[in-house]
This record gives sequence, C-alpha cells and structure tokens, in this order.
Amino acid sequence: MPSDDFPPVLLAEGLTKRYGNRTALTDCHLTVPRGRVVGLVGPNGAGKSTLLQLACGLIAPTSGTLRVLGAPPAADAAHLARVGFVAQDTPVYPTFTVAEHLRMGARLNPGWDQRLAERRIAQVGLHPGQRAGGLSGGQRAQLALTVAAAKRPELLILDEPAAALDPLARDGFLASLMEFVAELDASAVLSSHLLGDVARVCDHLIVLAGSRVQLTGAVADLLAAHHRVLAPRGGLDRMPAGVELVGSRPDGRYDRAVVRAARLRPEPSWTVEPVDLEELVLAYLTCAAGTPAAGVPIPAREALR
Amino acid sequence: MIWMSWRQFRAQAVVGAVALAVVAAYLLWLGLDVRDAHDGYLAQCRPLGDCTEALARFARDYENTLLYLAALLALLPAVVGMFWGAPLIARELESGTHRLVWNQSVTRRRWLLVKLLVVGLGAVLAAGAASLLLTWAAAPVDAVAGNRFSTIVFGARDLAPVAAAGFAFVLGTVIGLLTRRTLPAMALTALAVVVLQFAVPNLVRPHLMPPVRADRAMTEQAINEARGLGSITNSATVRGLSVPGAWVTDVSELRTRDGRTLDRRAFDDCFSAREDPADPATGQYGAAARCLGALDLHVELAYQPNHRYWPFQFLESGLYLLAAGLLTLFGLWRIRRRVT
Repeated sequence: MPSDDFPPVLLAEGLTKRYGNRTALTDCHLTVPRGRVVGLVGPNGAGKSTLLQLACGLIAPTSGTLRVLGAPPAADAAHLARVGFVAQDTPVYPTFTVAEHLRMGARLNPGWDQRLAERRIAQVGLHPGQRAGGLSGGQRAQLALTVAAAKRPELLILDEPAAALDPLARDGFLASLMEFVAELDASAVLSSHLLGDVARVCDHLIVLAGSRVQLTGAVADLLAAHHRVLAPRGGLDRMPAGVELVGSRPDGRYDRAVVRAARLRPEPSWTVEPVDLEELVLAYLTCAAGTPAAGVPIPAREALR
Repeated sequence: MIWMSWRQFRAQAVVGAVALAVVAAYLLWLGLDVRDAHDGYLAQCRPLGDCTEALARFARDYENTLLYLAALLALLPAVVGMFWGAPLIARELESGTHRLVWNQSVTRRRWLLVKLLVVGLGAVLAAGAASLLLTWAAAPVDAVAGNRFSTIVFGARDLAPVAAAGFAFVLGTVIGLLTRRTLPAMALTALAVVVLQFAVPNLVRPHLMPPVRADRAMTEQAINEARGLGSITNSATVRGLSVPGAWVTDVSELRTRDGRTLDRRAFDDCFSAREDPADPATGQYGAAARCLGALDLHVELAYQPNHRYWPFQFLESGLYLLAAGLLTLFGLWRIRRRVT
C-alpha cells in the first residue's frame, strides 16, 4: 500500500483527456510504485504522449485526477525540481552551445549537479563548445537526457526518446538512461513503441491502446500470470475455470494462445510454455485492436476478453 | 532565469543596439545642427531688433525633418512589438523548446514574468534613448513653433513613446502566446500597434481631460484663416482652426446666431456666390468666405491648453502602462492554463 511518506510515482484515477471531439485518454486508473522503470507501450495514437504530458503538467486533464510523487503535476517550482522530462523529438535550443545548456540547467535548477552533467557530456563524446543546432539526433537526445537528469529528479519521464535514433544511438541512449536511474536512485517512465527497448530496460509495464489502459503491473508478475499455450485446433474453444484467453492465432497444426491464469491447471492436450514480454504485449494490443472503438464506456477488464 | 532571458535576447539586442546607435548618431548631429541654425538666425536678426520672422523661418526649415522623425519614432513600438515581443513565446511554442524549459525548476509564470521584465526593460531603454535624443534635438524648434502638443509631435516627445513601446512589447508577447506561431503573431502585432497609434492620438487623447470650450464668430477674415471649408461628407464645417497656445481637438459645424446648425443648402449656395466686381473678395476662399461671413455664423471650439502638456504625457503613459500591466496579468493567467 502506498503510504504518505512514499506516495506512488503515478496515481491516476478516472483520468480522461479530450481534444475537442477526439478522446486521447479514457478513464485511466493507474498506480505505479516508486523505484520502477516503467515502460509505456502502445500503438501510435494510443495516448502515450498525452499521458506523459499530463504527468509533467504540460497539459491539464479534462476530468479525473493525476498525482505525481503525491502532488498535482508541475504544482510549483519545488515539484518541478523533482521531475525530469525529456520530450518527444528531444527539443534543445539550436543557438545554445552544449555548455550553455548545462549553464541553463544550473541557473534554473536549485539541485543541479554540474559534475554529473559534465562527466556525462564527456562520456558520450559531446564537446561543450558545440552548438546544439549542429548535433546529430543521438547526440541531441543525450544532451536532453543529461539536462533532465542532472537536476537530480526523483522521477524521469521520457516521451519516445529513442524513436528517431538509429540502433547504435538508441543502444547508447538506453545505456545512459539506465546509468542515470541507478546513479540517481530515481524512478523512470518511458514510452516507446519499440517492444525490444521496453523488454530490455523496464521492470514495470503499462499497455495503452485505443485511449485506454489495457494492462498494467510489474513485469515479473505479469510474466508469471501469463502463459503461452499450444493446443490442437479447437482445443482452446473451452477455457477451464480461472483461465482467461487473451489472444490466439493459428500456428501450423496448432493454435497458439496467450492465456492469463494465476495458477494454471492445463488441459491434457495443451503444451504450456512461459511467455515473453513481446508476445504478451502483442496479444493485448491485438486484442484491443479488435474491441469496439474508444469512447464506449466498458470496463478495462472486459475489454480484454 | 535572468541569464537565460538575456542569452535568448542577446542577438536581437545586438541588432537593436546597432540600429539605435545609427539613429542616435544622426539625432546628435541634428541636435547640434539645429542649435547652430538657431544661433545663426538670432545673430542675423538681433541687430534689427525683431526676430519673429527669422525664428519662424528657422522653425519652417526643420518642420518636415522633425515630422519624419516623429513618424519614425511612432513606428518604433510596432517594430519592438513585432521583433522583440511576438517571437518571445511564439518561437518557443513553435520549435517545441517550451517543453524543455518549462520542465526546469522554474514555474511558467516566473519564466514569463522574468522574460517580460528583461526584454521589456530593453524595449523601454531603447525607446527612452530614442525619445530623449529626439526631444533634445528638437527642443529649440519646439520652443519656437509651440506645437509639441499637436497630434503627431506629442507622441514623439518625452514619455509617451516610451510607454507606447513598453505596451507594444507586452501586446506582441501576449499575441504570440495566443497564436503560438511567430509569423502570424508578428503580422497581428504590427497591425494592432499601427491601428492603436492612429486611434490613441485621435480618439483617446483628446478626452483624457475635459476640453476647454469656446465660441468663435466666423467672420470673413476668420473663415479665410481656416485650412479648409466643407468636408468629404459635405457638411457645413471649417477645418484647421487654431487657438494660440492650445491643441484644438474638435470644431463644431457652423451654427447660426440662434445656435442651430447651418442649413446645408445655405452653405452650398455660398460656394456658388458671385464675385462683386466693385469690391472683389481678397481672402483664399474669395466670395464664398464673404457670403458665409455675412451670415453671422459661429463655431464651438474644443481645445486643450498647452499647459496641460505634462499632465497629458503622464496620463497617456499611465494608460499605456496600465494596459501593459493588465495584458501581463492575462498572459500569466493564460500560460498557466494552457497550452500545448
């Protein structure tokens, strides 16, 4: 249970965001405990950016509440100091040099760690005198991450930070991110549509699709509660009590399924294997894509069937 | 935050400073030239004992130059609003860098307030320097012409242009906050400021204090002293009447002795009045003036005496600053609610 001393990193209750007629986020309920690296996954337009921008206070919810580290997002300067944000496409000031970005961080953040910032800049091979306008995408992302991290936040929020990077730059970026998280003892939330990235760095998962939360929990718990089942054709028509079919597709002479069950007692004809994160997420996303359009108020659990 | 505001403003400040330096150098030269000419005219006329004509010629020599400069200074608020105000926030929103800077440990309101103060101070200093130099350069001419309270000159002397520039800067910033795009914000700001620069002297300033009203009999001579007769709407008016030592803000239509507006037909009839060959009319309006003068007409003049110059400077500047303050409050309210 979240106590007052350590409120959850994110606590959303009935969180909804509409842009005119379009609903970007519908009735989200979320609790993310501290100390996790949270992967926020979902297809484009699922509401990932909306959720993260709500979390750092760039936009305000239409209804419902969201508390970040126990307070409304961007409540005041002290709260802003506790949350670091790296926006999509990692904006920097093109006319500023790398050193001037660090100076900006030092001027605008009371908890700024100049030594950490300078060390990171040197490690990733950035020259302090370089203009930010001339940096490559990967270098720019590293600079934006350094500025967000050197203020020593308790929570780092990253909105598709690695989406536009080539594999090598992405690898370097994720490595940097994990080093920061370890060094700062911070929590992190990053959105991505690259399941491989999430599988690599995240220990907590939020699956968003069609503006709704489809699945959320610690990765270990989720993997323990789900199983891959291979069954002969038609063998999945009837589910035993306590077993819930997330999704299935034909695979050769078999049906290949992801099922959810706390304690699985399989049918004799089934072959049960552990499921990996990518397959699990894909099963939920495929399932969500087949459900009625967003905006029809159905409870999240029902949408999974 | 002050360093940050200055760092982002630096390039624009340098451009502004260079332009200001050029203008300042010219105004310094002009001021010295004006003083030389003033002394020269006085040296010529003093031995003759009457300097009225010489000083009038001196004032005429510089009248056009000073009017051009007044128009140039009237453009300064539009330029400041366009190039310093409009991009201040719009460019951040356009390039997405607001998502970087708004997530530093500084609230948006403080960020906006410091930016407004730093760049606004620059705008006020630039306009102040330009206004001070022009006021100084024109002082001998203004003293002779006695027209610093007139519509165009008033807005280019002392405090009024400084307050206008400060206001235009805040206006540009808020327009940028609302449009979120730099180019439309610049265009809208330029348009709004130009409209205001026309509206304030003509529609607002005459009413800052209740005008003094006076009745004037429109004799043939008085009509011939006017700058124009009639109007585009063909009403029975005289234009360009002057009151010594005052700024005339309004002239009523021509009225007959009993206080009623002159019938338009009677007015038109006078324009087709025939010249009397025995005693030809000599004034610029000829027979029409004589015909109108014979009707025993009056006008009511509304004017602001010249001794109200400084109260008006303070009132107009105060209004601009009040408007800038209200716009700032609106901006602070707006930036917290919105905005992506």
